[in-house]
Amino acid sequence: MSEATFLDTTELVLNMGPQHPSTHGVLRVILKLDGETVRGTECIIGYLHRGVEKIAENRTYVMFNPYVDRMDYVAAVSNGLGYCLAIEKLLNVEAPPRAQAARVILTELNRIASHLLWLGTHALDIGAITPVFYCFREREEVLKIFENYCGARLTTHAFRIGGLVYELYDGFEEQCRAFCDMFIPKVDEYEELLTNNRIWVSRLKGIGILNEQDCKDYGVTGPVLRAAGVKWDLRKAQPYSGYEQYDFDIPTAQNGDTFDRYTVRMEEMRQSVRIIRQAVDKLPAGPIMGKVGKVVKPATGEAYVSIEAPKGELGYFVVSDNSTQPYRVRVRPPSFVNLQALDVMVRGGLIADVVAIIGTLDIVLGEVDR
Amino acid sequence: MAATPWESDLTKELKERFGDQILECSTYLGQDFVVSTPDAAIPILEFLKLEADYDYLVDLTAVDYPKRPERFDVVYILYSFARNHRMRVKCAVADGAKPATAVTVHSTANWLEREVFDMFGIQFAGHPDMRRILLPEEWEGFPLRKEYGLIQQDDRWVRENLNIESGQ
Amino acid sequence: MGKLFRTVFLVDLLQGLWVTFRNQNPKYIYTEQYPSQRPKISERYRGAPRLNINPDNGETLCISCNLCALACPENLIVVTSQRNEETRKKELTTFTYDTSRCMFCGLCEDACPVDALELTQDFEMASYTREGTILDRQMLEEGPHPTQYRS
Repeated sequence: MSEATFLDTTELVLNMGPQHPSTHGVLRVILKLDGETVRGTECIIGYLHRGVEKIAENRTYVMFNPYVDRMDYVAAVSNGLGYCLAIEKLLNVEAPPRAQAARVILTELNRIASHLLWLGTHALDIGAITPVFYCFREREEVLKIFENYCGARLTTHAFRIGGLVYELYDGFEEQCRAFCDMFIPKVDEYEELLTNNRIWVSRLKGIGILNEQDCKDYGVTGPVLRAAGVKWDLRKAQPYSGYEQYDFDIPTAQNGDTFDRYTVRMEEMRQSVRIIRQAVDKLPAGPIMGKVGKVVKPATGEAYVSIEAPKGELGYFVVSDNSTQPYRVRVRPPSFVNLQALDVMVRGGLIADVVAIIGTLDIVLGEVDR
Repeated sequence: MAATPWESDLTKELKERFGDQILECSTYLGQDFVVSTPDAAIPILEFLKLEADYDYLVDLTAVDYPKRPERFDVVYILYSFARNHRMRVKCAVADGAKPATAVTVHSTANWLEREVFDMFGIQFAGHPDMRRILLPEEWEGFPLRKEYGLIQQDDRWVRENLNIESGQ
Repeated sequence: MGKLFRTVFLVDLLQGLWVTFRNQNPKYIYTEQYPSQRPKISERYRGAPRLNINPDNGETLCISCNLCALACPENLIVVTSQRNEETRKKELTTFTYDTSRCMFCGLCEDACPVDALELTQDFEMASYTREGTILDRQMLEEGPHPTQYRS
């Protein structure tokens, strides 16, 4: 029996453990390496599992609303929007137009905040330290608007079933317009820092390619799907909350690599500013709460409602049994489904590319584990 | 408001192909769904993907109705890019039964089925890697079943691994 | 030729560096010198709770209706009261609020019909003990008292 000598090469199994600055949360990735080339990965998740779906079966519909913010904690407003739309669908009510317009404004601000955090942390993983500070400076302005409106910056609990509970504060429109005017030159500044930079381009171009067929097979949605060339956005395909009134484009790209996802998300930020400007100009007057009784008790049945969250398609499948507590709430998290595609994307790359690809998928472990 | 029957070219084709394995085609609040027997679920998914353009499996989940003999309801939510239409396929599965895996049809079912196994205990026959995904490997019990309490935790696991009396 | 010039003389990297140097201007300083400079908090901020007192006669505004306890998702408010035989109304005896499990969602504040329970702008709620996070009626009525620092 020959013994393995010092110079024999075998497959090296390396653990990129749950405590890691670049895994965007508690994600454990086991890499099977051949030298520095990655031959396969295995993701182990569940370190942040809090049993949100089980909690939902023991709280009333109104009481469960604050819990959904805690799943995708980076962009909490979209989670609330998805949940409220799902329950409103079961109750067969619609929020009044003023509430819908305010929801659109807050959700688009939320999309900008989420993409800013993505850009800052992704650049930090690649090695560019400056964009983090600039992105968080702009994100601070968005969080100030959220704080002025609903009282919390991160776990906003901004929407209620049937509409809004707080009236828009005085100065909301001016603050939104001022933010929009301030923000577009800043996006240009980020592009000046990164887009033509040779280090950025060589780290991102050609890395982590996921073509259209694989995207649809793996159920990947959001900017990852749009970067592969599929011009599909739930805000245009199945509009909700009044999105059909606003005029915006869907950015797509050709190759489906990491650099394309970067350009798609930068362009999405500009389109969000466009939507906010239109919504603030068209903000109708009127009530902010629809006709929902004190006690929320939908009829027996089930419904699936999904929205275009900043990370992909966020869906809520709610089964009700004519009582005040939901029978089953299933959250379809975009990050969970997108993370499955990690295995396909990193094959043949280097370890440094694994970090770049985890960053470009834009996962939030709160949503992956729930 | 109860579910109303759903008639379209697609349902006619499904009924022709699968006959009495399709138990119901209905729509509720504008959302269409098809109820089938568990053996027909995967052939229906294949048919829908290859011939009806439903190429995107949005979600795969289960609901627990403990009072029924077939206690679980496995739900597949499908979407077609070409038709811009979303539909559900539901089938009732008994405790201990092993429905066929959907991984052969849609690769995204890999982790989704692992999560259904983790939370409900439904094993999928033919799955390449049927183990728990969100909870630790040694966990006993299936949390989303209705008899699993909310405060109850697997005290033995907590005591062994975290060296404390209980998680509360 | 232009491409060679740009590659050799690091034009793209210098462009990024120019952005960084532009931001060195002192007017772009965003750091708040906390704790001597406290941040400006909005009035709707959901911070530490407080029980309001009627300013005219110094009595509590709470009518012991228990709606806040029923609205709380975590069931951490405990309201006890006794019935005053003369006025036939309920009077508040104790009011316990457990901030260690509170998620500051604001449902209790929305539920209160007389605006007695209010979430203030206080965010400095650290305590050395676990018992210190459970607020009783007296702590709730006093309200927040942040430490002042000499600046």
